[in-house]
Amino acid sequence: MSNLLNSLSTELRRGTLTLAVLSQLRTPQYGYSLVQSLEKSGIFIEQSTLYPLLRRLEKQELVTSSWDTSETRPRKYYVLSEYGKEVFEQLKEEWLKNSKELYKLLEGEEKDGLD
Amino acid sequence: MDLIEVYIHEVTRRLPEKTREDIGLELRSTIEDMLPAEYREEDVKSVLEKMGNPAMLASGYQDKPMHLIGPRYFEAYLSLLKMILPIGAAIAVISLAAEHIFRYNEGGTVLTTFIAIMIEGVGSILEISFQTFFWVTLFFAILERTDKGKDMQPLTPYFKKWSPEDLKNIPNIPKKRSISRAEVFGSLLWTAIWSTVYFYANRLAGVYESGEEGLVFVTPSFNQEVLDSYWPVVLLVIGMDVALALYKFIKGQWTKKTAIFNTVNELLALVVFVLIINNQNLFQPEFIAYMSNLFTVTGDEFVDNAVLGSLIIYFIFAVISVFDGFRKARIR
Repeated sequence: MSNLLNSLSTELRRGTLTLAVLSQLRTPQYGYSLVQSLEKSGIFIEQSTLYPLLRRLEKQELVTSSWDTSETRPRKYYVLSEYGKEVFEQLKEEWLKNSKELYKLLEGEEKDGLD
Repeated sequence: MDLIEVYIHEVTRRLPEKTREDIGLELRSTIEDMLPAEYREEDVKSVLEKMGNPAMLASGYQDKPMHLIGPRYFEAYLSLLKMILPIGAAIAVISLAAEHIFRYNEGGTVLTTFIAIMIEGVGSILEISFQTFFWVTLFFAILERTDKGKDMQPLTPYFKKWSPEDLKNIPNIPKKRSISRAEVFGSLLWTAIWSTVYFYANRLAGVYESGEEGLVFVTPSFNQEVLDSYWPVVLLVIGMDVALALYKFIKGQWTKKTAIFNTVNELLALVVFVLIINNQNLFQPEFIAYMSNLFTVTGDEFVDNAVLGSLIIYFIFAVISVFDGFRKARIR
């Protein structure tokens, strides 16, 4: 039972991860700072998911990356591209709309919500 | 030993050459970020634990499937396999039969030859099955990795995306009209058996007597040279038989076309049968002598009766087959 619940909630979360990551990349972030800021908001993401995800986003030209070598340790910073910002805004709208609808469904308030 | 170094190597060695350095550097800086300023091996271990299995991490980067054949192709793969395997097995049997046909000079009794064919048959069916399985699987595994149409829609067995139009191609086949795989396989097997016996008649078809050493082959019934001289038409009949079986397999049901095809096939086979059995030299003289002695008739009487009898029997079976085809095609 709890196994099933686990896999269902993982599935539920998976789709939201891209959105969560994009939301944090409005300002430049490197890998570990991203993990920390997400964790602060209560979103836990597997390391083995995050880094490949960042790379994929870069390939899709939603984010750009650059190496910062001025500090003691070189860090790779990621930030939303112009295109990425656009996509993020649209995705955000989509998500807000969906979650409102879902909320109504879950609370059983469809009737009040119609007018 | 530097665990971090080894870990990074374990990830990057699975990745394409040109991305290794960049990913390696990023991983190193991330791992160091996660470690406290002063760290011991225990800390490294716990950080690496969080990073997870290097193989998983690498596969995340790779964007390549970690399965041989995914949901997109699995159904097409399975149905193709089911279609090809029995045909492969039948071809194995037929080619084995063909091989034995041309091996006239080997010794041994009928029984040992038969056993040898059975054992070899099982062996070559297994071999062909493995071969077919391997090549079909390889084909789909390559397809899975080269197909760039990355929508995860499963494909129908005909390699097209499903559409409601497909439903029109799935006739609601009544049980009595449908042609099972077993039936198709059975008819292919039957073709293989009769053609083996035909081209091998001087060693298989004849009079057997039970003596002290078990069954002894006394005299062959047919003149092999006469049988062999008809090889082009017999080959034509074999070809038609195989073509009909494959057609039935693809159609999966009796239709008017299937029934007509079946009729043409039966007619052709009947003509060839009549042609061969009326040949004056078909039967071996020793066989005629043996049989006429057995039934106390003259040789000519025996030949006439045998020819007439087998013609009638063959004709009845052919007519039954033809009518059965049309009867099944008419079932709604």
